[in-house]
Amino acid sequence: MASREVEVAELPQRSEPPSGPFSDIARRLVDPFRTVSPPEPRPATGFFTDTTVCIGCKACEVACKEWNLLPADGLHWSGNSYDNTRALSATSWRHVKFIEQLGEPTPAASVAAPETPLTSSPAFSLQRLLHEPKDGRWLMMSDVCKHCVAAPCQQACPTGALIHNEFENVFIQPDICNGCSSCVSACPFGVVTRSSLDGHSHKCTLCYDRQRDGLVPACAKACPTQSIQFGPIDELRERARNRVEDLHSRGVTTAYLYGDTPSKSYSQLNSFYLLVDRPSVYGLPDSPFNPWLHMKGDYLRAIVSGLTPIAALLAVLFLLGN
Amino acid sequence: METNSRLQTPVVLPSPPWEERKVRGSSGYATGPVTKAPAWHGLVAWDMLFNGMTTGLFLVAAISELAAPDVFTSVARTAYPVAFVLLLVDLLCLVLDLGDPLRFHHMLRVFKPGSPMSLGTWCLTVYSVPLTATAMIGLLPGGWISLEWVRRLIVVIGFLPALGSAVYKGVLLSTNAQPGWKDARWLGGYLTNSALMLGCAEMLVLSVLMRHVSAAAMLRPALGLLLGLNLVPLCLLAVDLRTTLSRLYTRWQLCGVGTLALGGGVLLPLFLLLVVDSPLSMLSAVMCIALGSLVIRFVIIMLPHASA
Repeated sequence: MASREVEVAELPQRSEPPSGPFSDIARRLVDPFRTVSPPEPRPATGFFTDTTVCIGCKACEVACKEWNLLPADGLHWSGNSYDNTRALSATSWRHVKFIEQLGEPTPAASVAAPETPLTSSPAFSLQRLLHEPKDGRWLMMSDVCKHCVAAPCQQACPTGALIHNEFENVFIQPDICNGCSSCVSACPFGVVTRSSLDGHSHKCTLCYDRQRDGLVPACAKACPTQSIQFGPIDELRERARNRVEDLHSRGVTTAYLYGDTPSKSYSQLNSFYLLVDRPSVYGLPDSPFNPWLHMKGDYLRAIVSGLTPIAALLAVLFLLGN
Repeated sequence: METNSRLQTPVVLPSPPWEERKVRGSSGYATGPVTKAPAWHGLVAWDMLFNGMTTGLFLVAAISELAAPDVFTSVARTAYPVAFVLLLVDLLCLVLDLGDPLRFHHMLRVFKPGSPMSLGTWCLTVYSVPLTATAMIGLLPGGWISLEWVRRLIVVIGFLPALGSAVYKGVLLSTNAQPGWKDARWLGGYLTNSALMLGCAEMLVLSVLMRHVSAAAMLRPALGLLLGLNLVPLCLLAVDLRTTLSRLYTRWQLCGVGTLALGGGVLLPLFLLLVVDSPLSMLSAVMCIALGSLVIRFVIIMLPHASA
């Protein structure tokens, strides 16, 4: 189908905004208060990260940095396996973690056994390779913002910069954030970080710009093993549960989903994980807690503690005044 | 709170599926901190102190003036401009602490009662209006005495936002994920109580400096009582934080901080207030109270950094 091209100069142009120091100041003051109608809600999307197939290639980290134009952090020797990213930060929105578990031999059942040997060579057989006890294992996981359904960072944000966008992803509006760090202290996963470059908070946007154009986020697109899967969140949860069942049937009984269902103290995560060890081994909280659950009680205690000295002061003034 | 509805019905999870593994070496993520400490340092400790001083002074001046106008009106008229200056210093600390101070006004884009920082910003903004008006009217020359009832009405209006401004600060810290702060259920209680105590101490200083003997005579036992009362939330806060504190600091370090906070910030001023009766001893007592409060605020604000 032919499309009509329009020269930019032919497009109707808005009149040039006034320039100068006073109009710049006025824009800075007024623009943040301008509101537009929010976009129509779209089906919620998220990530399902299957750590059992992660190979630690860091393609996700690189793709994220490339697409989002994030600067390099420098190459640092962390002393922690192959991890030189060290942590999620304002300039690293993906972080591949490496967990070396050396010591106890891995139970043979924790590795899926093929039904028939693929090769009969006595020197090298896949069966033998998979089943002979090994001295430990190497876990890998690509960490990212969890895009919590009830996100403490979003609840804490006093400027309205942190929102749930139309895809139900937690998104920081960079032109609104003023770097108060409330979100940093509220996040139980240590995801949100204030940048020392611009003073604003940054984290994974779940490639909001790509999603709006119908594209898959850069990390999921780059992942060569489909460890990072992107899609409508209901489909992902279904797919993840099937994967766990499949792993269980193949003998990996330790596989489970982290953040798939809400717990007593925390909501579901729209970016959830398939793990095979304790969450803290991967640097995740074993039982994340939404700090807002304490808020009413904390306010009540504060008010009562404030009213008590007021009553005491009134009593003293009344007694001594008489 | 709109987003709290997102916390759905709790689901009882089956027993943990992972196996306990004996692992050689200490590399990995299990022992490191999960959360990130915010860039809140000494400036925030000062902000907490000035917040308590301005709101406490306003509240105590308002209560005393309304309860015993004959004794306290002249001291209170001086107290409001002082509280105004303290508010300006507090706001300066708040603005400078932002990553982008030129965007401070973005705080007023939305009103989110579920966010303690939003609630606190709005409380401080609303509180600044009656405080400024009271301070300005109080500074007018004597001929404007006809505005006295207006000034008192403004003081009454400012009471609630002043209390809100004192209350939010502790809740702001206790409702987050940082080590120590997240367990501090009585932090808001301690800071609000402490604000009133600091306000009473400041009123006492003003009374002494203005040589208002009757006001000082009433405020001296009141401050002693508030000092004692402040020990209750302080002890409850210490119980909340005992696990974190014992993990972070040695017994000797804790003894040092305890001696400074309790000995220097409570017992010594109590002795100076109740046993020694002189203007100098009262001023020294107030100095000790302020220093003790500052030490406690510094210890609290540095908890996540010490944990990292």
